[in-house]
Amino acid sequence: MDSLAREALADRVLSFARGAEAEVIVTDGDFGLTRFTHNAIHQNIASADTAVRVRTIVDGRTGVAATNALDETSLRDVVGRARAMGALAPADHDAPGLVANAAVATPDGAFDEATANASPAERARIVADITRLAEERGLWAAGYVTSERSGITIANTAGTRVSYDGTSCGLNVKANGPDSTGFAEYYSTRFADLDGIAAGTIAVEKTLASKAPVAVEPGDWTVVIEPAAFGELLSYLTGHFSAQAYDEGSSFLSDGLDRAYAGEAVTISDDFAHPLLAGQPFDYEGYPTRRLHLLDRGVAHELLTDSAWAKRLHRTNTGHGLPAPSAHGPMARHVVVAGGTHGTHDLIANVKRGLLVTRFWYIRPVDHRKTIVTGMTRDGTFLIENGEIVGGVRNMRFNQSILEALRSATFSKEIARTGGYSYSSVVPTARIENFRFSSGTDF
Amino acid sequence: MTDFDACAARALDTASARGAVYADIRFEEDRSERIEVRNGAVATLSDGTSAGYGIRALFDGAWGFAASADTSDAGIDRAAARAVDIARAGAAIATRRFGQAPTDRYVDTYATPFERDAASVPLGERVALLLEAERALHAAPTIRVGRAWIDLWHTRKTFYSTTGSRIEQMLRQSGSGMSALAASEGDAQDRSYPGDIGLYQAGGWEIVEAARLRENAQRIGEEAAALLTAPQCPSGEFDVILGGSQVSLQIHESCGHAAELDRIMGWEANFSGTSFLDPAQLGTLRYGSDIVTIVIDNTMPGGFATVGYDDEGAKSGHSDIIRNGLLVGFEMSRDTARTLGRETNACVRAQSWEHVPMIRMCNLNLLPGDAPFEALFDGVENGIYMESNRSWSIDDHRLNFQFGCQIGWEIKNGKRGRMVKNPTYAGVTPQFWNSCDAIADERSWVAWGTPNCGKGEPMQTGRTAQAASPARFRNVRVGVGYDG
Repeated sequence: MDSLAREALADRVLSFARGAEAEVIVTDGDFGLTRFTHNAIHQNIASADTAVRVRTIVDGRTGVAATNALDETSLRDVVGRARAMGALAPADHDAPGLVANAAVATPDGAFDEATANASPAERARIVADITRLAEERGLWAAGYVTSERSGITIANTAGTRVSYDGTSCGLNVKANGPDSTGFAEYYSTRFADLDGIAAGTIAVEKTLASKAPVAVEPGDWTVVIEPAAFGELLSYLTGHFSAQAYDEGSSFLSDGLDRAYAGEAVTISDDFAHPLLAGQPFDYEGYPTRRLHLLDRGVAHELLTDSAWAKRLHRTNTGHGLPAPSAHGPMARHVVVAGGTHGTHDLIANVKRGLLVTRFWYIRPVDHRKTIVTGMTRDGTFLIENGEIVGGVRNMRFNQSILEALRSATFSKEIARTGGYSYSSVVPTARIENFRFSSGTDF
Repeated sequence: MTDFDACAARALDTASARGAVYADIRFEEDRSERIEVRNGAVATLSDGTSAGYGIRALFDGAWGFAASADTSDAGIDRAAARAVDIARAGAAIATRRFGQAPTDRYVDTYATPFERDAASVPLGERVALLLEAERALHAAPTIRVGRAWIDLWHTRKTFYSTTGSRIEQMLRQSGSGMSALAASEGDAQDRSYPGDIGLYQAGGWEIVEAARLRENAQRIGEEAAALLTAPQCPSGEFDVILGGSQVSLQIHESCGHAAELDRIMGWEANFSGTSFLDPAQLGTLRYGSDIVTIVIDNTMPGGFATVGYDDEGAKSGHSDIIRNGLLVGFEMSRDTARTLGRETNACVRAQSWEHVPMIRMCNLNLLPGDAPFEALFDGVENGIYMESNRSWSIDDHRLNFQFGCQIGWEIKNGKRGRMVKNPTYAGVTPQFWNSCDAIADERSWVAWGTPNCGKGEPMQTGRTAQAASPARFRNVRVGVGYDG
């Protein structure tokens, strides 16, 4: 369903909401994923859906309902259910109301027709490239290749009507040997960019280079953290920049804005227009998203807001709202960390004794306010001695304050898009001093 | 109104005509309601419905899956053809064959038992319950955020297969909970109830009432505030007693996921990880002490994952994972069970109609012991009692774990002492379960539901349960993450 069809659908729903302020979010997508293990495909899927979410406000009372049934009866019903919910809800006369007359421009490169139409056979060919590489070296590979088309339209009775169409695709591969593993990933908006041979080669080489891993002692280490690992670590910091977390005291920023919280090398932005992301230029209230620095050379000046938190704290709306009303508050969706001046190899070259981390796993907050998190290394952890990678090490658990890590952080000039199930970001490789490992494993 | 019988016949015929040796189709109509109150205001009040179907097709040993909400003849044809085309694409490059056609056939219906239909409870009454409980959470000026919530799910599933199965299920699941956040200069402390995410079970409004939010709100608020000034939990080796909901999480992370046979076979290797377990260890691995028996019971009344049939049309039942400390079984699907010469134990679920079915933890229960809860404290000279999870992390083999709880109390000479904050503990799975020397009896045994279990790619959120009562573990490493 293209943007014109979504807007027509949104208008039809709004026409059923006479007498109420109303907002409609129409989402439409087609998703394909080919997953493989032991050098063969074991999950191969496609899913398509169009859904409608309706928010009505009558006399300060808000109700929300959603459906994916698009016939007239169901669309009238979903509006009716939202109004019925709202009729029984307590009135909130401080609620900010709907976003009025918003206009946005989609960043270049957001949508690629070939990606939207990528077939399971095309995904399977990339899988075959990867598994052939693994088999040739006596390894087995597991991973996925995915392609997706998604569109969203937000329209409301205050005159806002914004749409975005995007594509995304990615691959990840874990190569497995008898006692070691290696990982590589790649994400893009263009399916033609996916190179199974390049990613497969990295994963295979990491696996072979880390075979017969040795145990090293827990403690404070200099670490060089590749983008897949650094992006995941950083995803546990971005929630702190929410105005809600700031105001309610759960954020480190509750100690105050306009302070240095990280080193001067650290500039973190929320930038939907970054060419590697080309993301949605408005939030889920339809408000234009502002590109801003979360940390500017280590200093925090900004808070992410939506219409409710902008009004409550008398700040400007930065356009980072989730579907309203939201219990979660505003959220960064396109995190970008500025690269440094040195190449990745330079970050390693002057490490006397340290560790190179390919990937982290199961990071969780230990103490949210203090930004202490724990997690494990996985899929390629290496010992660095005198600037050289000398072999694989067994995986280790860390307990580390992210803010403390960022005080000493320096970055590579190369940056990459990385992502997990709840985030997508663009980050460099990071070098961090005194990263604290608390225990080891036998693998 | 969709004629499921006609749509299913068309889909299965189309898949067969295009070369599928087996196909099934699962229709789902899901309705979900969530109400969340935050600091005296209704922050979420939503009523969502989603309907559609997923088709699985098997071609030359390779599976294809396609999901759609389009129930027109053309839509059904398109989705069925897509499922077969996807299977063909996989078969074309396959060097191994994972799939084999099932042969069993069930024609049956199942409905979740419930006492009171949640839909019969006026919305105003539901909101009033949450507002009252949330208000009571603000027991001290340092309580910055109070939250209380109710989740209700109602799902109609209808499953058809080319072997002639037709299974209709009406499923109800309900849950509620609350939390208080206390904050002061440089510190923030959470308390939630019941457990860390609420009480989630299969059933109707009676599950919400069983949580007793109003009755416990003030105490939870007071505990959150008290944690701000409580001393730090000490670090070192201690005997530990875990509250029931934390034992539930310990089962979930260090037994449930470890015993998923797809993970053991490497099917989740690139994301959720593998497992330290191996089929060769069945009957030989001493997973825990003699008192540790963990069983699958997907028929248990109230179990959050209780259903009549799983999402590949296999009948729910009982089976053992750990019997008197010995590893004896896994959570299995048809394809994975066949590799061990076993029958499936019906542990296959999909998040929704648009998700592919996969092995999921279902109801995985630690059988209760024979000691009253209070007796667990007897014989503990120097220990920590911990309640309600705050942090959880475990490696991708499910061995090295580190968990944190919201609140703890010192135990001195068999008595519960002063409150401590930020309690954490760490261990290695088999050693930890072998250190379990007491489990509280059935009076404190609760079927704790987990509404947010993540697994698979694309990520699926599963609803699992781990019934448990409090348990005692000896010589545990405590205080990790805060030990300097």
